[in-house]
Amino acid sequence: MKDNMEGRKLVDQMDVKFQTRDVQVYYGDTHAIKDVNVDILDKTVTAFIGPSGCGKSTFLRSLNRMNDTIPIARVEGKILLDGEDIYDPKVDPVQLRAKVGMVFQKPNPFPKSIYDNIAYGPRIHGLARNKAELDDIVEHSLRRGALWDEVKDRLQEPGTGLSGGQQQRLCIARAVATEPEVLLMDEPCSALDPIATAQVEELIDELKQNFSVVIVTHSMQQAARVSQKTAFFHLGNLVEYGDTDQIFTNPVDPRTESYITGRIG
Amino acid sequence: MTDQHHIASAFDRDLEAVQASLMKMGGLVEDNIRQAAVALKTRDLEMADAVRRADADIDALEETINMDCARILALRQPAASDLRTVLTVMKVAANLERIGDYAKNIAKRTAVLAQLQPIEGASGAVKRMAKEVRHMLSDALDAYIRRDAALANEVRHRDLEVDQMYNALFREFLTFMMEDPRNITACMHLHFIAKNIERAGDHVTSVADQVVYLATGELPEEDRPKGNSVAYDPDAFKESDE
Repeated sequence: MKDNMEGRKLVDQMDVKFQTRDVQVYYGDTHAIKDVNVDILDKTVTAFIGPSGCGKSTFLRSLNRMNDTIPIARVEGKILLDGEDIYDPKVDPVQLRAKVGMVFQKPNPFPKSIYDNIAYGPRIHGLARNKAELDDIVEHSLRRGALWDEVKDRLQEPGTGLSGGQQQRLCIARAVATEPEVLLMDEPCSALDPIATAQVEELIDELKQNFSVVIVTHSMQQAARVSQKTAFFHLGNLVEYGDTDQIFTNPVDPRTESYITGRIG
Repeated sequence: MTDQHHIASAFDRDLEAVQASLMKMGGLVEDNIRQAAVALKTRDLEMADAVRRADADIDALEETINMDCARILALRQPAASDLRTVLTVMKVAANLERIGDYAKNIAKRTAVLAQLQPIEGASGAVKRMAKEVRHMLSDALDAYIRRDAALANEVRHRDLEVDQMYNALFREFLTFMMEDPRNITACMHLHFIAKNIERAGDHVTSVADQVVYLATGELPEEDRPKGNSVAYDPDAFKESDE
């Protein structure tokens, strides 16, 4: 118990990675995200939970400007990454997404070799000066993705030939290859079996040593297992944000309580 | 506790069933405390025997409750107030089981005491003490059903009275034994009985603690008043020289 309290203190002292102030997201006339203020910490796993359509994915996607690709989407308010507004006109979304990587629900490896899946990002961002450096990045990233031992002898085989769980870890390895600072994950395990899910969760736990991880999940058990901070969204509002163990044992808001205990909210 | 139902109605039924078992267990324990005290006072060996038999039912219920709770934990992974409910049920069941054991022990000693010369006024005092503990238990269980932290806190504070009753009895038994060594066997048994009831009061207090946790999410922090036991006070029984 004491260790827990100390751990919590440490979390509180950690740096804030993302700061959002009065964020609104609209899809045309639909007001999808309302007045969201949240501080997302570095080297911490933050889980976004909430019923379908509550806006958690929308909010996640606004953190690396993925909503830019949707013509009718509009973001208002401030989203600061290390104190800098990511919606500032000077910011290049491509550079931003190298810093704020993303992993999606369904594994989506490029139709290329395992090696090229990882090497693609570092190549376009010019992170390697020669083949040896690129090889290093590929190995390092695959190790971080907890996939190296399984694929090191077949790097030239297509990434699409891997199992679902391996493909997802490949996508995570691809996301970390560009040395991002934040990793956004939109239901990274919903297409995986329990074993592959456990492997990805174990990986998330390791990733938090180096990155700020934000994960959207429909599995409350998963949120409870992997995250230190949990944010509960409902009807576009951020209802409650706090330490995961508090949210799951003694939530403050009755809406949070109803949702996490599986009652009709 | 919200009044809303779970989307999985079987989860509601499981939680209700295990809590109904707990309340049934609580009722049996209350009965057993009362009957043990009456049997002691009226030297009714048949009733004492019934108390001992009923304790087996209490133990069996505890086992059922623990198994049901384990099943809920495994199958439903309860969170928040549901989790607190399951944890509280398990702890309260353990407390009730211990209280049941104390009642059974009183019934066992009743069989011995019935063979001995009665001690003037002692069984009446023990019965009053048992009554107080039984009322505390009854209120603690009511507080559980109503998720009433205020009532539970009140119960926690009433344990002081039980401690004081125990201390008074302790002095009394000591006096009886000093007056006439032939009282020693009976007084030793009566003292164990009083101690059993005092311990039962502590377990009721623990039940009340759990109710506060269930209702508020936090265990009560402030220290409740405790009656200093005369048994540990070196000056309490100094032979006076006057």
